[in-house]
Amino acid sequence: MTSEGSAQAHDWLDDAGSGTPESPTFDTSVAHIARVYDYWLGGKDNYAADRAAGDAALQAYPDLASSVRVNRAFLARVVRYLTAEAGIRQFLDIGTGIPTSNNTHEVAQSVAQDSRVAYVDNDPIVLSHARALLTSNPKGATDYIDADLRDTDRILAEAARTLDFTRPVAIMLIAILHLIGDEDDPAAIVARLLDAVPPGSYLAISHVASDIEPEKMAEMRERLNRMVSQKGTYRTQAEVSSFFSGLELVPPGVVRIQEWRPDAELEAKRPAAMWGGIGYKR
Amino acid sequence: MGMVQPGSHPTEGSDPDEQLGGPTVVRMLLGTQLRRFREASGITPDEAGYEIRATRFKISRLENGRVGFKERDVADLLTLYGVTDEQVRERMLALTRQAGTPGWWAQYSDLLPDWFETYLGLEQAASLIRTFELQFVHGLFQTEDYARAVMVLGHRAAPADEIDRRVSLRIKRQDLLSRPKPPRVWSVMDEAVLRRPVGGREVMRSQLRRLLEVTELPHVTLQVVPFRYGGHAAAGGSFTILRFGDPDLPDVVYIEQLTSALYLERRDDVDHYMEVMNRLNAEARTPTDTASFLSEMIRSV
Repeated sequence: MTSEGSAQAHDWLDDAGSGTPESPTFDTSVAHIARVYDYWLGGKDNYAADRAAGDAALQAYPDLASSVRVNRAFLARVVRYLTAEAGIRQFLDIGTGIPTSNNTHEVAQSVAQDSRVAYVDNDPIVLSHARALLTSNPKGATDYIDADLRDTDRILAEAARTLDFTRPVAIMLIAILHLIGDEDDPAAIVARLLDAVPPGSYLAISHVASDIEPEKMAEMRERLNRMVSQKGTYRTQAEVSSFFSGLELVPPGVVRIQEWRPDAELEAKRPAAMWGGIGYKR
Repeated sequence: MGMVQPGSHPTEGSDPDEQLGGPTVVRMLLGTQLRRFREASGITPDEAGYEIRATRFKISRLENGRVGFKERDVADLLTLYGVTDEQVRERMLALTRQAGTPGWWAQYSDLLPDWFETYLGLEQAASLIRTFELQFVHGLFQTEDYARAVMVLGHRAAPADEIDRRVSLRIKRQDLLSRPKPPRVWSVMDEAVLRRPVGGREVMRSQLRRLLEVTELPHVTLQVVPFRYGGHAAAGGSFTILRFGDPDLPDVVYIEQLTSALYLERRDDVDHYMEVMNRLNAEARTPTDTASFLSEMIRSV
Protein backbone atom coordinates (compact mmCIF):
# COMPACT_ATOMS: atom_id res chain seq x y z
CA MET A 1 0.00 0.00 0.00
CA THR A 2 1.48 3.29 -1.02
CA SER A 3 0.48 6.74 0.00
CA GLU A 4 -1.71 7.98 -2.78
CA GLY A 5 -1.27 11.69 -2.22
CA SER A 6 1.08 14.21 -0.77
CA ALA A 7 0.45 16.01 2.46
CA GLN A 8 1.28 19.35 0.92
CA ALA A 9 -1.56 21.79 1.22
CA HIS A 10 -1.39 23.24 -2.27
CA ASP A 11 -2.27 20.15 -4.23
CA TRP A 12 -5.92 19.85 -3.23
CA LEU A 13 -7.22 20.80 -6.59
CA ASP A 14 -4.79 18.79 -8.68
CA ASP A 15 -6.95 15.77 -9.16
CA ALA A 16 -10.20 17.05 -7.77
CA GLY A 17 -13.48 15.48 -8.72
CA SER A 18 -12.19 11.95 -9.00
CA GLY A 19 -15.47 11.24 -7.29
CA THR A 20 -16.97 8.34 -5.50
CA PRO A 21 -16.28 4.73 -6.34
CA GLU A 22 -19.64 3.26 -7.27
CA SER A 23 -20.55 -0.27 -6.33
CA PRO A 24 -23.62 -2.37 -5.66
CA THR A 25 -23.23 -1.97 -1.90
CA PHE A 26 -23.68 1.75 -2.22
CA ASP A 27 -27.12 1.10 -3.58
CA THR A 28 -28.92 0.13 -0.41
CA SER A 29 -32.28 -0.17 -2.19
CA VAL A 30 -31.17 -3.49 -3.71
CA ALA A 31 -30.21 -6.40 -1.47
CA HIS A 32 -26.48 -7.25 -1.38
CA ILE A 33 -25.43 -10.78 -0.49
CA ALA A 34 -22.80 -9.71 2.07
CA ARG A 35 -25.37 -7.67 3.99
CA VAL A 36 -28.06 -10.36 3.65
CA TYR A 37 -25.57 -12.82 5.14
CA ASP A 38 -24.89 -10.35 7.96
CA TYR A 39 -28.66 -10.21 8.59
CA TRP A 40 -28.93 -14.02 8.78
CA LEU A 41 -26.08 -14.04 11.27
CA GLY A 42 -27.89 -11.52 13.48
CA GLY A 43 -25.58 -8.62 12.57
CA LYS A 44 -26.52 -4.96 12.45
CA ASP A 45 -24.90 -3.99 9.13
CA ASN A 46 -27.90 -4.47 6.87
CA TYR A 47 -30.71 -2.44 5.35
CA ALA A 48 -34.44 -2.85 4.65
CA ALA A 49 -33.91 -4.46 1.21
CA ASP A 50 -31.42 -6.93 2.71
CA ARG A 51 -33.79 -7.85 5.51
CA ALA A 52 -36.65 -8.35 3.04
CA ALA A 53 -34.56 -10.68 0.86
CA GLY A 54 -33.22 -12.40 3.97
CA ASP A 55 -36.74 -13.01 5.28
CA ALA A 56 -37.96 -14.30 1.91
CA ALA A 57 -35.14 -16.86 1.93
CA LEU A 58 -35.84 -17.80 5.55
CA GLN A 59 -39.46 -18.51 4.67
CA ALA A 60 -38.37 -20.88 1.93
CA TYR A 61 -35.77 -22.61 4.10
CA PRO A 62 -36.32 -21.86 7.81
CA ASP A 63 -33.13 -23.71 8.83
CA LEU A 64 -31.08 -21.11 7.01
CA ALA A 65 -30.45 -19.18 10.25
CA SER A 66 -28.83 -22.34 11.59
CA SER A 67 -27.08 -23.07 8.30
CA VAL A 68 -25.13 -19.78 8.21
CA ARG A 69 -24.02 -20.23 11.83
CA VAL A 70 -22.97 -23.81 11.13
CA ASN A 71 -20.93 -22.43 8.22
CA ARG A 72 -19.12 -19.99 10.54
CA ALA A 73 -18.44 -22.87 12.93
CA PHE A 74 -17.12 -24.95 10.01
CA LEU A 75 -14.79 -22.08 9.06
CA ALA A 76 -13.46 -21.95 12.63
CA ARG A 77 -12.90 -25.74 12.80
CA VAL A 78 -11.17 -25.73 9.42
CA VAL A 79 -8.83 -22.89 10.38
CA ARG A 80 -8.09 -24.52 13.71
CA TYR A 81 -7.34 -27.82 12.00
CA LEU A 82 -5.09 -26.16 9.41
CA THR A 83 -3.19 -24.15 12.00
CA ALA A 84 -2.97 -26.61 14.90
CA GLU A 85 -2.77 -29.96 13.09
CA ALA A 86 -1.48 -29.16 9.59
CA GLY A 87 0.96 -26.43 10.65
CA ILE A 88 -0.34 -23.87 8.13
CA ARG A 89 0.58 -20.24 8.83
CA GLN A 90 -0.62 -18.54 5.64
CA PHE A 91 -4.22 -18.09 4.53
CA LEU A 92 -5.70 -16.68 1.35
CA ASP A 93 -9.31 -16.00 2.39
CA ILE A 94 -11.44 -15.07 -0.62
CA GLY A 95 -14.92 -13.67 0.01
CA THR A 96 -14.29 -12.06 3.37
CA GLY A 97 -17.77 -10.70 3.95
CA ILE A 98 -18.76 -8.22 6.63
CA PRO A 99 -16.67 -8.95 9.73
CA THR A 100 -18.42 -11.03 12.37
CA SER A 101 -16.99 -13.20 15.13
CA ASN A 102 -14.38 -15.95 14.63
CA ASN A 103 -12.79 -14.35 11.60
CA THR A 104 -10.03 -16.34 9.93
CA HIS A 105 -7.06 -14.44 11.38
CA GLU A 106 -8.58 -14.43 14.87
CA VAL A 107 -8.93 -18.20 14.91
CA ALA A 108 -5.54 -18.76 13.26
CA GLN A 109 -3.71 -16.29 15.52
CA SER A 110 -5.34 -17.79 18.61
CA VAL A 111 -3.45 -20.99 17.73
CA ALA A 112 -0.32 -19.46 16.13
CA GLN A 113 0.25 -15.74 16.65
CA ASP A 114 2.44 -15.45 13.57
CA SER A 115 -0.32 -16.50 11.17
CA ARG A 116 -0.72 -14.31 8.09
CA VAL A 117 -4.02 -13.78 6.31
CA ALA A 118 -4.74 -12.05 3.00
CA TYR A 119 -8.45 -11.19 2.87
CA VAL A 120 -9.98 -10.74 -0.58
CA ASP A 121 -13.32 -9.16 -1.43
CA ASN A 122 -14.68 -7.21 -4.36
CA ASP A 123 -16.85 -4.88 -2.35
CA PRO A 124 -15.54 -1.50 -1.13
CA ILE A 125 -17.67 -1.48 2.00
CA VAL A 126 -16.70 -4.98 3.01
CA LEU A 127 -13.08 -3.98 2.41
CA SER A 128 -13.22 -0.79 4.45
CA HIS A 129 -14.78 -2.80 7.30
CA ALA A 130 -12.10 -5.45 6.97
CA ARG A 131 -9.29 -2.87 7.03
CA ALA A 132 -10.74 -1.25 10.15
CA LEU A 133 -11.92 -4.30 12.07
CA LEU A 134 -9.86 -7.30 10.96
CA THR A 135 -6.56 -6.08 12.31
CA SER A 136 -3.72 -8.45 13.03
CA ASN A 137 -1.80 -8.89 16.23
CA PRO A 138 1.75 -7.51 15.85
CA LYS A 139 3.40 -10.94 15.37
CA GLY A 140 1.25 -11.93 12.42
CA ALA A 141 -0.13 -9.97 9.49
CA THR A 142 -3.39 -9.23 7.71
CA ASP A 143 -3.83 -7.62 4.34
CA TYR A 144 -6.87 -6.69 2.28
CA ILE A 145 -7.18 -7.15 -1.46
CA ASP A 146 -9.80 -5.54 -3.64
CA ALA A 147 -10.48 -8.17 -6.29
CA ASP A 148 -13.13 -10.44 -7.70
CA LEU A 149 -12.67 -14.19 -7.32
CA ARG A 150 -12.67 -14.47 -11.14
CA ASP A 151 -9.60 -12.21 -11.30
CA THR A 152 -7.10 -14.76 -10.00
CA ASP A 153 -4.08 -12.97 -11.51
CA ARG A 154 -4.78 -9.88 -9.49
CA ILE A 155 -5.51 -11.86 -6.33
CA LEU A 156 -2.24 -13.78 -6.59
CA ALA A 157 -0.14 -10.74 -7.48
CA GLU A 158 -1.46 -8.71 -4.56
CA ALA A 159 -1.45 -11.58 -2.07
CA ALA A 160 2.30 -11.85 -2.61
CA ARG A 161 2.64 -8.67 -0.53
CA THR A 162 1.72 -10.68 2.55
CA LEU A 163 2.06 -14.37 1.70
CA ASP A 164 5.18 -16.26 0.69
CA PHE A 165 4.11 -18.47 -2.21
CA THR A 166 7.18 -20.67 -1.86
CA ARG A 167 5.69 -21.94 1.43
CA PRO A 168 2.34 -23.72 1.97
CA VAL A 169 -0.81 -21.61 1.80
CA ALA A 170 -4.39 -22.50 2.68
CA ILE A 171 -6.83 -21.24 0.05
CA MET A 172 -10.15 -20.56 1.76
CA LEU A 173 -13.27 -20.51 -0.43
CA ILE A 174 -15.94 -20.43 2.25
CA ALA A 175 -19.49 -19.88 0.99
CA ILE A 176 -18.27 -18.06 -2.12
CA LEU A 177 -18.09 -20.50 -5.07
CA HIS A 178 -21.90 -20.68 -5.31
CA LEU A 179 -21.74 -17.03 -6.44
CA ILE A 180 -19.77 -18.12 -9.53
CA GLY A 181 -22.04 -19.43 -12.27
CA ASP A 182 -21.03 -22.34 -14.48
CA GLU A 183 -20.48 -19.89 -17.37
CA ASP A 184 -17.51 -18.49 -15.42
CA ASP A 185 -15.97 -21.97 -15.03
CA PRO A 186 -15.44 -22.13 -11.26
CA ALA A 187 -13.30 -25.29 -11.58
CA ALA A 188 -10.79 -23.40 -13.74
CA ILE A 189 -10.68 -20.58 -11.18
CA VAL A 190 -9.92 -23.06 -8.39
CA ALA A 191 -7.27 -24.75 -10.56
CA ARG A 192 -5.50 -21.44 -11.29
CA LEU A 193 -5.33 -20.67 -7.56
CA LEU A 194 -4.00 -24.15 -6.80
CA ASP A 195 -1.33 -23.83 -9.49
CA ALA A 196 0.12 -20.85 -7.64
CA VAL A 197 0.68 -22.61 -4.31
CA PRO A 198 3.41 -25.15 -3.54
CA PRO A 199 2.98 -28.79 -2.47
CA GLY A 200 1.90 -28.96 1.17
CA SER A 201 -0.81 -26.35 0.57
CA TYR A 202 -4.52 -26.85 1.29
CA LEU A 203 -7.85 -25.91 -0.30
CA ALA A 204 -10.91 -25.46 1.94
CA ILE A 205 -14.40 -25.11 0.46
CA SER A 206 -17.90 -24.77 1.79
CA HIS A 207 -20.66 -24.60 -0.79
CA VAL A 208 -24.46 -24.21 -0.72
CA ALA A 209 -26.05 -27.57 -1.62
CA SER A 210 -28.68 -28.25 -4.26
CA ASP A 211 -29.19 -31.86 -3.15
CA ILE A 212 -29.93 -31.38 0.56
CA GLU A 213 -33.59 -30.42 1.12
CA PRO A 214 -33.75 -29.91 -2.68
CA GLU A 215 -37.25 -28.38 -2.95
CA LYS A 216 -36.66 -25.87 -0.20
CA MET A 217 -33.25 -24.95 -1.55
CA ALA A 218 -34.59 -24.48 -5.08
CA GLU A 219 -37.29 -22.19 -3.75
CA MET A 220 -34.77 -20.26 -1.66
CA ARG A 221 -32.42 -19.85 -4.63
CA GLU A 222 -35.24 -18.60 -6.82
CA ARG A 223 -36.30 -16.03 -4.25
CA LEU A 224 -32.78 -14.80 -3.56
CA ASN A 225 -31.87 -14.60 -7.23
CA ARG A 226 -34.92 -12.40 -7.76
CA MET A 227 -34.04 -10.05 -4.91
CA VAL A 228 -30.25 -10.03 -4.53
CA SER A 229 -27.83 -8.59 -7.08
CA GLN A 230 -25.32 -11.50 -6.77
CA LYS A 231 -26.87 -14.63 -8.33
CA GLY A 232 -26.42 -18.03 -6.72
CA THR A 233 -25.77 -21.45 -8.28
CA TYR A 234 -26.20 -24.28 -5.77
CA ARG A 235 -24.39 -27.56 -6.44
CA THR A 236 -24.49 -31.27 -5.61
CA GLN A 237 -22.04 -33.19 -3.44
CA ALA A 238 -20.46 -34.64 -6.61
CA GLU A 239 -20.09 -31.20 -8.20
CA VAL A 240 -18.49 -29.76 -5.06
CA SER A 241 -16.18 -32.78 -4.80
CA SER A 242 -14.97 -32.17 -8.36
CA PHE A 243 -13.39 -28.86 -7.27
CA PHE A 244 -10.89 -30.94 -5.30
CA SER A 245 -9.70 -32.94 -8.31
CA GLY A 246 -5.97 -33.67 -8.13
CA LEU A 247 -5.93 -33.15 -4.37
CA GLU A 248 -5.91 -35.65 -1.53
CA LEU A 249 -9.08 -35.19 0.55
CA VAL A 250 -8.57 -34.87 4.28
CA PRO A 251 -10.95 -37.30 6.06
CA PRO A 252 -13.92 -37.37 6.21
CA GLY A 253 -13.89 -35.89 2.68
CA VAL A 254 -16.59 -33.70 1.20
CA VAL A 255 -19.50 -34.01 3.63
CA ARG A 256 -22.29 -31.96 5.17
CA ILE A 257 -20.37 -29.15 6.89
CA GLN A 258 -21.84 -29.94 10.32
CA GLU A 259 -20.41 -33.45 10.02
CA TRP A 260 -16.90 -32.31 9.14
CA ARG A 261 -14.88 -33.07 12.31
CA PRO A 262 -17.54 -31.71 14.70
CA ASP A 263 -16.37 -30.72 18.17
CA ALA A 264 -19.46 -32.28 19.73
CA GLU A 265 -22.21 -34.67 18.75
CA LEU A 266 -24.75 -31.92 19.13
CA GLU A 267 -22.88 -29.79 16.63
CA ALA A 268 -23.07 -32.54 14.00
CA LYS A 269 -26.87 -32.56 14.30
CA ARG A 270 -27.49 -28.85 13.71
CA PRO A 271 -29.27 -28.31 10.39
CA ALA A 272 -27.33 -26.86 7.44
CA ALA A 273 -27.58 -27.34 3.69
CA MET A 274 -23.97 -26.99 2.62
CA TRP A 275 -21.16 -29.28 1.49
CA GLY A 276 -17.63 -28.77 2.69
CA GLY A 277 -14.18 -30.28 2.90
CA ILE A 278 -10.42 -29.79 2.75
CA GLY A 279 -7.97 -31.03 0.13
CA TYR A 280 -4.19 -31.41 0.42
CA LYS A 281 -1.81 -30.69 -2.46
CA ARG A 282 0.95 -33.33 -2.72
CA MET B 1 -38.40 7.97 20.11
CA GLY B 2 -35.58 9.63 18.32
CA MET B 3 -35.13 12.97 19.92
CA VAL B 4 -34.00 13.61 23.43
CA GLN B 5 -34.11 17.17 24.59
CA PRO B 6 -34.49 17.41 28.30
CA GLY B 7 -37.25 19.77 29.25
CA SER B 8 -38.75 19.77 25.77
CA HIS B 9 -41.99 18.26 27.05
CA PRO B 10 -43.85 19.97 29.87
CA THR B 11 -44.14 16.86 32.01
CA GLU B 12 -40.47 15.99 31.69
CA GLY B 13 -37.30 17.35 33.14
CA SER B 14 -38.69 17.89 36.62
CA ASP B 15 -38.26 14.32 37.82
CA PRO B 16 -34.97 14.05 39.72
CA ASP B 17 -34.69 10.37 38.69
CA GLU B 18 -34.18 11.45 35.12
CA GLN B 19 -30.93 13.15 36.01
CA LEU B 20 -29.33 9.84 37.04
CA GLY B 21 -26.26 8.81 35.13
CA GLY B 22 -25.32 5.21 35.87
CA PRO B 23 -24.19 2.32 33.70
CA THR B 24 -26.14 3.14 30.63
CA VAL B 25 -26.04 -0.20 28.96
CA VAL B 26 -27.63 -1.84 31.99
CA ARG B 27 -30.49 0.64 31.74
CA MET B 28 -30.80 -0.06 28.03
CA LEU B 29 -30.94 -3.81 28.57
CA LEU B 30 -33.48 -3.35 31.33
CA GLY B 31 -35.52 -1.05 29.09
CA THR B 32 -35.41 -3.50 26.18
CA GLN B 33 -36.64 -6.30 28.47
CA LEU B 34 -39.42 -4.15 29.88
CA ARG B 35 -40.58 -3.25 26.38
CA ARG B 36 -40.68 -6.94 25.44
CA PHE B 37 -42.75 -7.80 28.50
CA ARG B 38 -45.09 -4.86 27.87
CA GLU B 39 -45.60 -5.73 24.21
CA ALA B 40 -46.11 -9.40 25.01
CA SER B 41 -48.88 -8.47 27.45
CA GLY B 42 -50.54 -6.12 24.93
CA ILE B 43 -50.36 -3.13 27.26
CA THR B 44 -50.01 0.34 25.73
CA PRO B 45 -47.40 2.89 26.87
CA ASP B 46 -50.27 5.06 28.17
CA GLU B 47 -51.59 2.26 30.38
CA ALA B 48 -48.10 1.48 31.60
CA GLY B 49 -47.48 5.15 32.32
CA TYR B 50 -50.71 5.39 34.31
CA GLU B 51 -49.63 2.46 36.48
CA ILE B 52 -46.52 4.28 37.66
CA ARG B 53 -48.11 7.73 37.75
CA ALA B 54 -46.20 8.94 34.69
CA THR B 55 -46.75 9.54 30.99
CA ARG B 56 -46.18 7.40 27.96
CA PHE B 57 -43.17 9.64 27.23
CA LYS B 58 -41.61 8.52 30.47
CA ILE B 59 -42.30 4.88 29.54
CA SER B 60 -40.67 5.40 26.18
CA ARG B 61 -37.60 6.95 27.78
CA LEU B 62 -37.42 4.15 30.33
CA GLU B 63 -37.63 1.55 27.58
CA ASN B 64 -34.87 3.32 25.66
CA GLY B 65 -32.68 3.27 28.74
CA ARG B 66 -32.39 7.03 28.76
CA VAL B 67 -33.45 7.58 32.37
CA GLY B 68 -33.02 5.86 35.70
CA PHE B 69 -35.54 3.47 37.20
CA LYS B 70 -37.12 3.29 40.63
CA GLU B 71 -37.22 -0.24 41.95
CA ARG B 72 -40.87 0.18 42.93
CA ASP B 73 -41.79 1.28 39.40
CA VAL B 74 -40.09 -1.72 37.84
CA ALA B 75 -41.85 -4.05 40.31
CA ASP B 76 -45.23 -2.43 39.54
CA LEU B 77 -44.68 -2.65 35.78
CA LEU B 78 -43.67 -6.32 35.98
CA THR B 79 -46.86 -7.04 37.91
CA LEU B 80 -48.92 -5.12 35.36
CA TYR B 81 -47.27 -7.08 32.54
CA GLY B 82 -48.11 -10.35 34.27
CA VAL B 83 -44.49 -11.29 34.99
CA THR B 84 -44.83 -13.45 38.09
CA ASP B 85 -41.79 -15.72 37.85
CA GLU B 86 -39.84 -14.81 40.99
CA GLN B 87 -36.47 -15.50 39.36
CA VAL B 88 -37.19 -13.22 36.43
CA ARG B 89 -38.50 -10.49 38.73
CA GLU B 90 -35.47 -10.74 40.99
CA ARG B 91 -33.09 -10.54 38.04
CA MET B 92 -34.87 -7.44 36.72
CA LEU B 93 -34.79 -5.78 40.15
CA ALA B 94 -31.10 -6.61 40.57
CA LEU B 95 -30.43 -4.95 37.21
CA THR B 96 -32.42 -1.94 38.41
CA ARG B 97 -30.19 -1.57 41.46
CA GLN B 98 -27.08 -1.94 39.30
CA ALA B 99 -28.36 0.70 36.90
CA GLY B 100 -28.65 3.17 39.75
CA THR B 101 -24.91 3.25 40.47
CA PRO B 102 -23.54 6.60 39.31
CA GLY B 103 -20.82 6.76 36.63
CA TRP B 104 -17.32 8.10 37.22
CA TRP B 105 -18.33 11.41 35.66
CA ALA B 106 -20.79 12.18 38.47
CA GLN B 107 -18.13 14.40 40.08
CA TYR B 108 -18.25 16.64 37.01
CA SER B 109 -22.02 16.78 36.81
CA ASP B 110 -22.12 20.53 37.49
CA LEU B 111 -20.32 21.01 34.15
CA LEU B 112 -22.34 18.51 32.19
CA PRO B 113 -25.64 19.19 30.54
CA ASP B 114 -27.66 16.01 30.88
CA TRP B 115 -27.76 15.49 27.11
CA PHE B 116 -24.00 15.10 27.22
CA GLU B 117 -24.04 12.94 30.33
CA THR B 118 -26.21 10.52 28.37
CA TYR B 119 -23.57 10.45 25.65
CA LEU B 120 -20.79 9.68 28.14
CA GLY B 121 -22.78 6.73 29.42
CA LEU B 122 -23.37 5.41 25.92
CA GLU B 123 -19.74 5.92 24.92
CA GLN B 124 -18.55 3.96 27.97
CA ALA B 125 -20.98 1.16 27.15
CA ALA B 126 -20.32 0.93 23.40
CA SER B 127 -18.40 -1.92 21.81
CA LEU B 128 -17.85 -0.02 18.54
CA ILE B 129 -17.69 3.75 18.19
CA ARG B 130 -17.73 5.11 14.63
CA THR B 131 -17.30 8.85 14.21
CA PHE B 132 -17.11 11.40 11.46
CA GLU B 133 -15.45 14.70 12.36
CA LEU B 134 -15.60 17.79 10.22
CA GLN B 135 -14.23 20.43 12.56
CA PHE B 136 -12.16 19.17 15.49
CA VAL B 137 -10.16 16.10 16.40
CA HIS B 138 -12.44 13.64 18.23
CA GLY B 139 -12.50 14.13 22.01
CA LEU B 140 -11.08 10.65 22.62
CA PHE B 141 -7.89 11.58 20.74
CA GLN B 142 -7.31 15.17 21.84
CA THR B 143 -4.12 16.17 23.62
CA GLU B 144 -4.52 18.22 26.75
CA ASP B 145 -3.38 21.43 25.02
CA TYR B 146 -5.64 20.90 22.04
CA ALA B 147 -8.57 20.13 24.35
CA ARG B 148 -7.85 23.32 26.29
CA ALA B 149 -7.83 25.39 23.09
CA VAL B 150 -11.18 23.87 22.05
CA MET B 151 -12.66 24.48 25.51
CA VAL B 152 -11.61 28.12 25.49
CA LEU B 153 -13.29 28.55 22.11
CA GLY B 154 -16.51 27.12 23.44
CA HIS B 155 -16.53 28.75 26.90
CA ARG B 156 -14.95 32.16 26.48
CA ALA B 157 -16.34 33.54 29.71
CA ALA B 158 -15.43 30.55 31.85
CA PRO B 159 -12.95 31.03 34.73
CA ALA B 160 -9.61 29.24 34.46
CA ASP B 161 -10.43 26.57 37.05
CA GLU B 162 -13.59 25.61 35.20
CA ILE B 163 -11.62 25.23 31.97
CA ASP B 164 -9.15 23.06 33.89
CA ARG B 165 -11.92 20.78 35.08
CA ARG B 166 -13.45 20.56 31.62
CA VAL B 167 -10.06 19.57 30.22
CA SER B 168 -9.51 17.01 32.96
CA LEU B 169 -12.95 15.48 32.29
CA ARG B 170 -12.06 15.15 28.61
CA ILE B 171 -8.72 13.50 29.40
CA LYS B 172 -10.36 11.19 31.94
CA ARG B 173 -12.84 10.14 29.25
CA GLN B 174 -9.90 8.84 27.22
CA ASP B 175 -9.23 6.18 29.89
CA LEU B 176 -11.66 4.06 27.95
CA LEU B 177 -9.02 3.57 25.24
CA SER B 178 -6.65 1.91 27.71
CA ARG B 179 -9.10 -0.09 29.82
CA PRO B 180 -8.89 -3.91 29.72
CA LYS B 181 -11.62 -4.53 27.15
CA PRO B 182 -11.64 -1.29 25.18
CA PRO B 183 -14.23 -0.51 22.53
CA ARG B 184 -13.16 -0.36 18.91
CA VAL B 185 -13.00 3.23 17.73
CA TRP B 186 -13.22 3.85 14.00
CA SER B 187 -12.91 7.51 13.23
CA VAL B 188 -13.05 9.36 9.93
CA MET B 189 -11.89 12.96 9.80
CA ASP B 190 -12.20 15.51 7.10
CA GLU B 191 -8.79 16.79 6.05
CA ALA B 192 -9.88 20.22 7.38
CA VAL B 193 -9.59 18.83 10.93
CA LEU B 194 -5.87 18.29 10.38
CA ARG B 195 -5.28 21.61 8.59
CA ARG B 196 -6.97 23.90 11.12
CA PRO B 197 -4.25 24.97 13.58
CA VAL B 198 -6.32 24.87 16.79
CA GLY B 199 -4.17 26.29 19.60
CA GLY B 200 -1.38 27.25 17.19
CA ARG B 201 1.38 25.45 15.33
CA GLU B 202 3.05 23.70 18.28
CA VAL B 203 -0.19 22.48 19.80
CA MET B 204 -1.25 21.20 16.41
CA ARG B 205 2.06 19.46 15.77
CA SER B 206 1.76 17.56 19.07
CA GLN B 207 -1.85 16.78 18.27
CA LEU B 208 -0.86 15.29 14.92
CA ARG B 209 1.81 13.21 16.68
CA ARG B 210 -0.81 11.99 19.12
CA LEU B 211 -3.05 10.96 16.20
CA LEU B 212 -0.18 9.06 14.65
CA GLU B 213 0.39 7.29 17.98
CA VAL B 214 -3.23 6.19 18.28
CA THR B 215 -3.10 4.65 14.81
CA GLU B 216 -0.74 2.12 16.43
CA LEU B 217 -3.43 0.97 18.87
CA PRO B 218 -4.92 -2.31 17.67
CA HIS B 219 -8.48 -1.21 18.50
CA VAL B 220 -8.28 2.24 16.90
CA THR B 221 -8.68 2.98 13.19
CA LEU B 222 -8.26 6.46 11.72
CA GLN B 223 -9.09 7.55 8.20
CA VAL B 224 -8.83 10.95 6.54
CA VAL B 225 -11.17 12.13 3.80
CA PRO B 226 -8.92 14.10 1.46
CA PHE B 227 -9.83 17.55 0.19
CA ARG B 228 -9.60 16.35 -3.37
CA TYR B 229 -12.97 14.69 -3.02
CA GLY B 230 -14.96 17.71 -4.09
CA GLY B 231 -17.74 16.81 -1.70
CA HIS B 232 -18.71 13.86 0.39
CA ALA B 233 -21.70 12.01 1.64
CA ALA B 234 -21.86 13.71 5.03
CA ALA B 235 -23.40 16.98 3.92
CA GLY B 236 -24.95 17.31 7.37
CA GLY B 237 -21.77 17.47 9.46
CA SER B 238 -20.15 15.50 12.25
CA PHE B 239 -21.89 12.50 13.79
CA THR B 240 -21.19 9.37 15.80
CA ILE B 241 -22.68 5.87 15.59
CA LEU B 242 -22.51 3.78 18.74
CA ARG B 243 -22.89 0.02 18.67
CA PHE B 244 -23.37 -2.19 21.72
CA GLY B 245 -22.27 -5.77 22.20
CA ASP B 246 -25.72 -7.08 23.04
CA PRO B 247 -27.45 -8.18 19.82
CA ASP B 248 -30.77 -6.84 21.13
CA LEU B 249 -29.55 -3.28 21.50
CA PRO B 250 -29.95 -1.08 18.45
CA ASP B 251 -27.21 1.21 17.16
CA VAL B 252 -27.55 4.82 18.28
CA VAL B 253 -26.64 7.85 16.17
CA TYR B 254 -25.45 10.85 18.16
CA ILE B 255 -25.39 14.33 16.67
CA GLU B 256 -24.16 17.15 18.85
CA GLN B 257 -25.50 20.65 18.49
CA LEU B 258 -24.56 23.84 20.30
CA THR B 259 -27.05 23.55 23.16
CA SER B 260 -28.47 20.05 22.80
CA ALA B 261 -27.98 16.76 21.01
CA LEU B 262 -29.95 14.33 18.92
CA TYR B 263 -30.02 10.62 19.69
CA LEU B 264 -31.45 8.65 16.77
CA GLU B 265 -32.23 4.99 17.06
CA ARG B 266 -35.16 4.46 14.70
CA ARG B 267 -34.05 1.88 12.20
CA ASP B 268 -34.67 4.18 9.19
CA ASP B 269 -32.59 6.98 10.69
CA VAL B 270 -29.77 4.70 11.76
CA ASP B 271 -29.71 3.02 8.33
CA HIS B 272 -29.38 6.40 6.67
CA TYR B 273 -26.46 7.49 8.82
CA MET B 274 -24.86 4.06 8.52
CA GLU B 275 -24.99 4.35 4.76
CA VAL B 276 -23.32 7.77 4.88
CA MET B 277 -20.64 6.48 7.26
CA ASN B 278 -20.01 3.47 5.02
CA ARG B 279 -19.52 5.74 2.03
CA LEU B 280 -17.13 7.94 3.99
CA ASN B 281 -15.10 4.91 5.08
CA ALA B 282 -14.91 3.64 1.52
CA GLU B 283 -13.95 7.06 0.07
CA ALA B 284 -11.42 8.01 2.72
CA ARG B 285 -7.74 7.15 2.69
CA THR B 286 -7.16 3.65 4.01
CA PRO B 287 -5.89 3.37 7.61
CA THR B 288 -2.38 2.62 6.30
CA ASP B 289 -2.41 5.61 3.96
CA THR B 290 -3.77 7.78 6.75
CA ALA B 291 -0.79 6.93 8.94
CA SER B 292 1.68 7.89 6.19
CA PHE B 293 -0.32 11.04 5.49
CA LEU B 294 -0.08 12.01 9.17
CA SER B 295 3.68 11.40 9.20
CA GLU B 296 4.10 13.64 6.18
CA MET B 297 1.98 16.36 7.73
CA ILE B 298 4.00 16.28 10.94
CA ARG B 299 7.16 16.83 8.89
CA SER B 300 5.63 19.72 6.96
CA VAL B 301 3.86 21.64 9.79
